[in-house]
Amino acid sequence: MRRDLRTFALLFIGLLMAGCATTPVQPWERGRLARWDMRWDSDPMQAAAFEHAHFSKEGTSGEIGAAGGGCGCN
Amino acid sequence: MYKLMRANVVVAAIVLTLSATIAAAVEPGSPAPGFDAPTFDNKPIRLVDYRGKVVFVDFWASWCSPCRQSLPLYDKLSGEFPTSDFAVVAINVDENAADAKKFLAEHPVKYTIVQNPKGDIPKAFGIDGMPSSYLIDRDGTIRDRHVGFEPKDIDALRGEIAKLIGAPAHAS
Repeated sequence: MRRDLRTFALLFIGLLMAGCATTPVQPWERGRLARWDMRWDSDPMQAAAFEHAHFSKEGTSGEIGAAGGGCGCN
Repeated sequence: MYKLMRANVVVAAIVLTLSATIAAAVEPGSPAPGFDAPTFDNKPIRLVDYRGKVVFVDFWASWCSPCRQSLPLYDKLSGEFPTSDFAVVAINVDENAADAKKFLAEHPVKYTIVQNPKGDIPKAFGIDGMPSSYLIDRDGTIRDRHVGFEPKDIDALRGEIAKLIGAPAHAS
């Protein structure tokens, strides 16, 4: 009984690990990922403006590239 | 003993599962993997038919931004050498042929382009980036492999081709 349980547990872990081994997206399969609607930002210019305002106001050093002291002058 | 064997089997299974996902790139010095693929006009093209010529194989896609620069430059390069000595065969990996045709309407080229939406040719070459290109000598051996593209790469490539065909390029 105990041995069965152990075998089952091993099989289960093995299957779980196999589930993690997904086939990575190959370089020639990135067409969909390269689509405009797959971007993180819907509008790159607006995103850049938001980022600039964010690091200027928050002064979060290192959060988005370089940061100033929060004076809003950079 | 039984326990040890079982552990080995589990470890081997994990290693096999993980390694199955990694494809090795074909390196210079190895024979080029042969292919047989249709052009956009459904004309079959086989790499073996180019034996005796220096062949430049370029993997591209409509969504690959460096390809906007590389295709026109490769087109110009293909005209700089005699067709009896040199050929460019480009392999399009777009899933949707319409995307490639639209791209070609904007960036027309004269050299041969085959379509491979399934991606078995780039898989056989083991390409690890887009765009990727291979320079194959007259005997079908890969002489040079290049990943990515910058316009300055063209000069080195021109020199390599001239060396392989044994004749200098003539300016077009």
